Amino acid sequence: MSRLPAPAPLDVGNVMWLLVAMCFVVAPHVLRLPYWVGVFFGVVVGWRAWIAWAALRVPPRSLMYVVTAVAAVGTYMQYQRIGGREPGVTLLIVMASLKVLEMRTQREVVLAIYLGFFLVLTNFLFSQSIPLGLYMLVCVWVFIATLVGFNRIGSSPTISERLRPAGALLLQALPLMAAFFVLFPRVQGPLWALPQDARSGATGLSDTMTPGNIANLIKSDAVAFRVRFEGERPPFSRMYWRGPVMTEFDGQTWRMSGVGMMGRLHFARAANPVRYAITMEPNNKNWLFALDAPAATPPDSYPLVDLQLRSHRPVDQRLRYELTSYLDYRYDEGSGPQMLRYASRFDETRNPRTVALGRSWARELKDPHRIIERAITLYNREFTYTLEPPVLDKANPYDDFLFNTKRGFCEHYAGSFALLMRAAGVPARVVTGYQGGELNPFNGELIVRQADAHAWTEVWLADAGWTRVDPTAVVSPLRVEGGVNAALGPIGATSVMMAADRLGILANIHFGWQYLNSQWDQWIVGYNLEKQRQFFSDLGFRDVDWRTLAFWLMAAILLVGGAVTLGLLFRERQPRAEASLIAWNRFCSKLGAAGVVRAPHEGPLDFLARVQRAHPGLSAEAQEITRRYVEARYGAGATREELRELATRVREFRATTA
Amino acid sequence: MAGSLRQSISDWIFRAASPETPPVTLVQRRIFILPTKMGYVYGGTLLILLLSSINYALSLGFVLTFLLMSMAGVAMLHTWRNLAHLRLRPGRCDPVFAGDVAHFGVTVETPSLTRFAIALRPREGDPVYTDIVAREPAMIAIPAQTRTRGLLRCGRLEVFTRYPVGLFHAWSYIDFDLKVLVYPRPDPAAGAPPRSGGNDVEEGIPVAGDDEFNMLRPYRAGDAPKLIAWKALAREQGLLTKEFNATAAAELWLEWGEAPGADVEARLCALTHWVLQAEEFGQAYGLRIPGVRIAPDRGDAHCRACLEALALFEMPR
Repeated sequence: MSRLPAPAPLDVGNVMWLLVAMCFVVAPHVLRLPYWVGVFFGVVVGWRAWIAWAALRVPPRSLMYVVTAVAAVGTYMQYQRIGGREPGVTLLIVMASLKVLEMRTQREVVLAIYLGFFLVLTNFLFSQSIPLGLYMLVCVWVFIATLVGFNRIGSSPTISERLRPAGALLLQALPLMAAFFVLFPRVQGPLWALPQDARSGATGLSDTMTPGNIANLIKSDAVAFRVRFEGERPPFSRMYWRGPVMTEFDGQTWRMSGVGMMGRLHFARAANPVRYAITMEPNNKNWLFALDAPAATPPDSYPLVDLQLRSHRPVDQRLRYELTSYLDYRYDEGSGPQMLRYASRFDETRNPRTVALGRSWARELKDPHRIIERAITLYNREFTYTLEPPVLDKANPYDDFLFNTKRGFCEHYAGSFALLMRAAGVPARVVTGYQGGELNPFNGELIVRQADAHAWTEVWLADAGWTRVDPTAVVSPLRVEGGVNAALGPIGATSVMMAADRLGILANIHFGWQYLNSQWDQWIVGYNLEKQRQFFSDLGFRDVDWRTLAFWLMAAILLVGGAVTLGLLFRERQPRAEASLIAWNRFCSKLGAAGVVRAPHEGPLDFLARVQRAHPGLSAEAQEITRRYVEARYGAGATREELRELATRVREFRATTA
Repeated sequence: MAGSLRQSISDWIFRAASPETPPVTLVQRRIFILPTKMGYVYGGTLLILLLSSINYALSLGFVLTFLLMSMAGVAMLHTWRNLAHLRLRPGRCDPVFAGDVAHFGVTVETPSLTRFAIALRPREGDPVYTDIVAREPAMIAIPAQTRTRGLLRCGRLEVFTRYPVGLFHAWSYIDFDLKVLVYPRPDPAAGAPPRSGGNDVEEGIPVAGDDEFNMLRPYRAGDAPKLIAWKALAREQGLLTKEFNATAAAELWLEWGEAPGADVEARLCALTHWVLQAEEFGQAYGLRIPGVRIAPDRGDAHCRACLEALALFEMPR
């Protein structure tokens, strides 16, 4: 009267695998999100593990609703919003962990695994580097292995019985994945509005400059943009990458101002053109960088009167543009009376000593050239270039800097210099951007990092137009010639190691890794509509449309599918019976050499009987070989392994030992 | 309603020439494959991953999406391969008593590769999963709850697999016309079988016309005096009893008419109990039910023959 058994509860081993996979994929997030997210996740996973281990019931759904509500409120209180990258990922982790906690059935487990795939994707919102990519591949592997375990109904698989089929699936999926990656038609731009912080790369220059904020940037190794020069590369000392220009000044902070747009760039004189292409990392800002000064504007962008390039939309994904710049130029636009008045304004009540000094120079020297010289001499004599300047007085920071501390970074010099010039009646403004860069000897590419951020000034001279003056170069010529490392000594671990590396091996590894990263960034991470077009035109196909892509995709699917099917069937194919015959004949000839010749009509069993009579010493082994041969040839057949075993036994068979 | 319509459509589409002669090899054209419900959910997941990747311009998101998509494609082939070329043979189908769980036996073997989580499912009931190793035919017993006596047919079996990742359901149908004989449920309330023969003898009735002398056997206490072979005793052959054919002195006839019970089934249950009892006592017994007469005998085969007769009483064969 036994009834049929009820469906079994979730297998403990399988649940543990899922929990491990979840931990794998959430681990990188724990470092990025508030600590309570990690604690919450850890507690929930531990709780679920205990439930599985002790075969307890999962908590009731009503409790789940409460915990979910608490977690949502917690997320809101943390961020004051629900949308956006960090809150979104936090919520997803909370949801996934609760899903894991409450799962009872196989179906819920599978849903949890699918949620895990989303968690993999969210990691890419923060970084798409090679190490993270590889790590996430491992995560996907473990998830698939978990899925394999759950589908091994009726038996519990070992670790390798989970990982091997999952690995085989992923390996065989790689070619098709590559084909889809290359061929799948790419669409430009977001489908729906992105939150401001959707992507990484938020570090970078800002639209204001206060003493201290560039110095913070200098500590970042993040890449700002990469440059590939066509033809000759200008010397480092002339690589001023122009970014936000700041004309407005309130006594402490320099700001970008609403200067007018321009239709076209116009130079009174232009020489020394340099052609290059810039690949910019996303910074979610509207400005583009160009070698001072850009001759034209890239597509979807426009110039401002102060020679700043602005793009129409924020740069929220990697952007590549080609440009020509003039290293020598004379630029007079934006020097109308109104503009110059604007570039001479300052708040007289703040930094009074600086203002007084500038005014005294104006009375004494009159000629702007001599005023500039005087200022440079001042800096040259008494000032020190340092990354860790003392904190300045809030109300009168430049007074404090010029007359007390005398230690500063580029922004101190640029800001104080511009103020001095204005006080002396010379129109001046601050230009921020980057200076120099690091040349990768492997591909000749110049990498400009946040650490190369710089600020300098431009003054307006009646006989030369807007002219660049870099007071930092005076105080620390090395900064401009050899980069920030040369000027300050090594910053950061990489630089310290590089400095210690006299043999150059580390440098080679460093640059090789740089090169790999650059290729990865350009061709994998930066593979967009444009790159796709470029890829196909490099291959000799112009104007590839989606139909061609679809055709090739179909071809790839058929090719890969066919190859995999053939591979599977090949492994399935019955081993050939002849293999056993070959082994048998070899066995007979060995015995023939030892004096027992098999008659043509003699069957294997008869022959065996005769061999056993003639050489009793060989009896056991001969019997085993004959048994295997008869089984393979006349019986149920043999697998590959069994045939191999038969061949080995025959090979090792020694008839002469009789 | 919709379910039964779907069932009949599916029956029509996947109709097979049944029953089939074993062994059946699951060749390519016998195998069907479709995504599972979770496979469709997986497809939806991929779509969301793709849209997110486009929206956030995440190249590695594309890589992830396409990797998972291609993995599903490869998994489809693996699922199909996991089922293809399996060889199936009918296995043991032992009789059971009504109310017990019957088991339909099927033997499955793989030519070379090990197969995982191969399932066999009867039309109604849960699937039975097993792994199949090369050269070791797996005997799979598909349980089925029995209710009434008679011949329980297994009907068409679905052999399917979802291994390795459960995104696809590959299946095939086989019909070996597997049958389990279901005996009536023995009714212990029927008590011990009546010793009908004993009564007859006491009344001194050699059944009319059947008083043909058969043989002599040793005397047992209770034998009627007039059956004692006095002549043999005189010849000093000891005390013997004459045995006549029709009287069947120690033979037990299990009679339809004597079985207690309100209806046919109740009588069959009582008779089943008697057969088992008689067999257990090691007594020769015969069975007489309308349309069937099984001569007295003993032993396993005889017992099974009697039970079969009871199981199939008034049943279309």
